[in-house]
Amino acid sequence: MRESPRQIFVLVASFALLAALPWIAGAVGRPDLVTLGSQACVMAIAAASLDLLMGRTGLPSFGHAAWLGLGAYTVGILAFHARDLGPPWDQWAVQAWAVWPLAVLVPAALAAVIGALCLRTSGISFIMITLAFAQMFFFLFVALKTYGGDDGLTLRRRSTIPGIAPRDDVAFFYVCLTALVLVLLLLRRVAASRFGTVLDGIRQNERRMMAIGLSPFPYKLAAFVLSAGIAGLAGALHVNLFRFASPDLLHWTMSGELMVMVVLGGLGSLWGAMFGAAAMVVLHAVLAQWTEHWQIVLGPILVAVVLLARRGLWGALGGK
Amino acid sequence: MSALLEVRGLAKRFGGLVATDGLNLDVASGEIHALIGPNGAGKTTAIGQIAGEIRPDAGTIHLAGQDITRLGVPARVRAGMTRSFQITQVLMNASALANVALVEQVRQGHSFRLWRPAARDERLLAPARAMLERVGLGARADVAAEDLSHGERRQLELAMALATNPRLLLLDEPMAGLGTTESAAMTVLLAALKQEVSILLVEHDMDAVFALADRITVLEGGRVIAHGTPAAIRADAAVRDAYLGAA
Repeated sequence: MRESPRQIFVLVASFALLAALPWIAGAVGRPDLVTLGSQACVMAIAAASLDLLMGRTGLPSFGHAAWLGLGAYTVGILAFHARDLGPPWDQWAVQAWAVWPLAVLVPAALAAVIGALCLRTSGISFIMITLAFAQMFFFLFVALKTYGGDDGLTLRRRSTIPGIAPRDDVAFFYVCLTALVLVLLLLRRVAASRFGTVLDGIRQNERRMMAIGLSPFPYKLAAFVLSAGIAGLAGALHVNLFRFASPDLLHWTMSGELMVMVVLGGLGSLWGAMFGAAAMVVLHAVLAQWTEHWQIVLGPILVAVVLLARRGLWGALGGK
Repeated sequence: MSALLEVRGLAKRFGGLVATDGLNLDVASGEIHALIGPNGAGKTTAIGQIAGEIRPDAGTIHLAGQDITRLGVPARVRAGMTRSFQITQVLMNASALANVALVEQVRQGHSFRLWRPAARDERLLAPARAMLERVGLGARADVAAEDLSHGERRQLELAMALATNPRLLLLDEPMAGLGTTESAAMTVLLAALKQEVSILLVEHDMDAVFALADRITVLEGGRVIAHGTPAAIRADAAVRDAYLGAA
């Protein structure tokens, strides 16, 4: 997966634009753009994690929102109970360095169990069983009245990061951007590793992989767990961004949106997931101002991209 | 000669169709054993069961004395038996070298490394290059599999099977779709392999079969109707009726 010169140029330009976003927002007098930028970064992390499964390993999970939601609720619930805990736990429960890793580990651990069950199936059955598990989590959080039920759970204040004021939206934007860059670099590295090579092989020809002596299951499960953990991190950022977690984060429509982002950006292209996510977040914001039925406009745009650029936005950038 | 592969009483039916009917088969260490028969005789089903892709209804399969009847495909490969496919199964968008390097990686068993780039790892590339050299693809190592000719892909298919370092190769129609010259080259290549690996060969190309095989087993309707040396098979009346008749 070599990037073409044009793609590298677009990447550098995009990250430069993102890095300058707070100044641009200030210059045009639209501070809300900073939040939009944070949201794009967060969704880009979630979409990139799904691309590892869908695009690289060939596992179309239709329940990826579950991990996003579980990551968000892990942070939310710990903060909710912080006041009931004695020292030093009451402090730790709101510290980013303590809580965010948990928001990665909780979805990852659950994904290890659920993945082991889901990966016994393939094709349509896999899509359906991942959807079913995700909906189970959705209804679980709707039913948990302690944590707000379907009204959602409010985070009193953002997780504490030393040196960053909790209400500083610009600083938090840079936290999200840094997380995105680190996640993308990690996934880029994984894709080129021996492990990534095996995932590629499983996607392209599982029968051949078995015929050269490879048992695909452990690799698929590892990809499932890694992808859930990264989505959990996106969830932790999401709940901090809006200081709010709701069951909507786990709803199947969110899983669908993540899939759309991946396909829109270009399946298996990693960087593409970022552009797909950004495009969706921005389109949503722009179109929703214009009409509440914004999806009517989004639909044809998606159809056009899928038909005209079969390898997605990123593939179209690469030329050929 | 001790039997490397021992198949006893193998049976498989699909609904009303008996595909394999009490198959017995021995492949001795160091031999090329050909499995022939008319279309629909059950050759591919037999290979599928021996390779582990199809579960037999009855019977046992032993490899070098080890009962492998219940093992899955990857475990059988690790036990020393690798198949090639009649329809080439390679990773089309990867180079020939990358395809073989992937096999080398799986054989070395370090696929849970998530950090170091695999594409520049000489521990994988050096043996992979040597293998491509051996099957005559050395000059085409960096060409994507999808850009190789059909014949070159058949060579790549063989290289991938060989790279697992098997004691027994199950070759499912290695000559499929090859022209006369290419078939002859493949025959020379397979004959040269005989020194180090035993081969169970399913093949329609009778020139190749009679040139290569030490022994031949003839299947019809899922059962063995004859087995023996090429000379004996050529002389067998039942085989002539069933199969060679027209030739």
